[in-house]
Amino acid sequence: MKRAGAVALNTFREAVRDRVLYNLVFFALLMMAAAIFVGQISIGIEEMVIKSLGLSAISVIGLLIAVFIGVGLVYKEMDKRTLYALLAKPVRRWEFLLGKFAGLVLTLAVNTAAMAAGLFLALLYVKHHLESADAVLLVAVFFIWLKLMLVVALALLFSCYSTPLLAILYTSAFYVAGMFVEEMRTYHSATLSAAAAGLLRTISYLLPNFENFDVMAAAAHGRAIPGALVAQNTAYAASYSAVVLLIAVAVFSRRNLK
Amino acid sequence: MWLLLPLLAVGFAGVWALQRGIDAQRAALHQERDDLVLRSGKLLKAMSLEYTPLVADLYWTRAVQYYGDKRARHEQGFDLLWPLLDVTTTLDPNLLVAYRFGSTFLSEPEPRGAGQPQLAIGLLERGIRANPDYWRFYEDLGFIYYFELKDYGMASQAFADGSKVPGAQIWMKVMAAKIAAEGQSLNTSIFLWNDIYQTTTDPEIKENAFNHLQLLRVEVDCRQLNALADEYEKRTGHRPTHMIDLVQEHLLPHLPADPKGFPYVFGPDGKAALNLDSPLLEQQLLDESKEPAAQQ
Repeated sequence: MKRAGAVALNTFREAVRDRVLYNLVFFALLMMAAAIFVGQISIGIEEMVIKSLGLSAISVIGLLIAVFIGVGLVYKEMDKRTLYALLAKPVRRWEFLLGKFAGLVLTLAVNTAAMAAGLFLALLYVKHHLESADAVLLVAVFFIWLKLMLVVALALLFSCYSTPLLAILYTSAFYVAGMFVEEMRTYHSATLSAAAAGLLRTISYLLPNFENFDVMAAAAHGRAIPGALVAQNTAYAASYSAVVLLIAVAVFSRRNLK
Repeated sequence: MWLLLPLLAVGFAGVWALQRGIDAQRAALHQERDDLVLRSGKLLKAMSLEYTPLVADLYWTRAVQYYGDKRARHEQGFDLLWPLLDVTTTLDPNLLVAYRFGSTFLSEPEPRGAGQPQLAIGLLERGIRANPDYWRFYEDLGFIYYFELKDYGMASQAFADGSKVPGAQIWMKVMAAKIAAEGQSLNTSIFLWNDIYQTTTDPEIKENAFNHLQLLRVEVDCRQLNALADEYEKRTGHRPTHMIDLVQEHLLPHLPADPKGFPYVFGPDGKAALNLDSPLLEQQLLDESKEPAAQQ
């Protein structure tokens, strides 16, 4: 585990060196522009726009980092042949993968936390004060981070056996499909046989359910999110990521690196 | 490097000039641009993934811009207003502001609004179904029935229904009883417009409420002046023809003026009226012209 920790720390340092955190400047500019201009072009939604725009930006920027950096985590090391030097040392393949995963998740945690701070600053500028109901935004940000963790796990899995371009396609497809899980379960059609409906239902449970983490509307309206949901979502994201990482380790361990 | 800077400046100046030309061309196509490609809120909801609240905010902003743009250009017909509000409230059924302001934009008679109070009622009823704890929607509903449709039974019912919502202000119940008993009355109208004036955050709606309050004050003033004219007739045996007659008879200390500062006059029928130069006259005529239509 110590070796995985070292890989994780290096992955984080590499991300910082690659100027991944520069996106924070874009986020800061976006929030400042929204805070100043929204009140002038709309009516009564200044606070709501800051919340929904802030959360959406955190999600979109996080997704771009998770997908585009996630698919390159393994591929880049193989392409530059640094992986061979690393695996020649006493580092097991699963430790390497786990370290890469943890490193990117740590990068996303730092990035997400910084953007959340920016969101609260913009909110403070618009409202001139913060209230306890705004704390629900922290839950929404935490859910976004859980979602990103799951996306990183998927990107890592696909990058273990395909090219970055295909891995981006697979990860994006799983993400979009995971946003329609509820529709898959409740889909009713006269042309759909019972077997097909059953299959669709089974697939809906196997796919990562990204709808679980969608609390943006509740957060934008200041509605409380039950503690049980926070616990369940945390467990879900951790379990699903663990399963995906296990598959990734299995694939990567059998991969011929010659 | 130093050569690059003037080249960039020239390049951007060229782009700027071209864009100005394109803007002029597109302004001519304003009518064509005035369109809403996606009208299905459900489809948009599916397409916007988890970013539905942000897309709803964008659509609401578009509705506000559309309404403001039409008003600024003094254009008739708010054809896209309902589709925009429909999409907005389908995407975010809890966006209270879209129901409140949206229903005002829809119900106000042209040229101030779309002149479609039935659509405004539909929007508010949808809002009530999605947000049953928000009593202000009942106030807005009662307002539209009272002022736009002159349906005092439904107005009274709306205020009565709203008064049952926990947290509703006590005057909702009073308003329900008052409208049920009296129908339209000056005091009720003043109270309702005053509430809108005090509670709205939108400058245009505030200004509209202020204008209506000024017209109601004119109505109160004219009633009092007519009573004084009756008194004058009792004393002198004939109707006054000028306001100065009331002052000379010591019924008034000075010439009475409307809220804009223009002195009242007596019309050919002997009744007190607004001065022809008063800016309030246009607003008064506009309101009077919509009344017969609403009563039909």
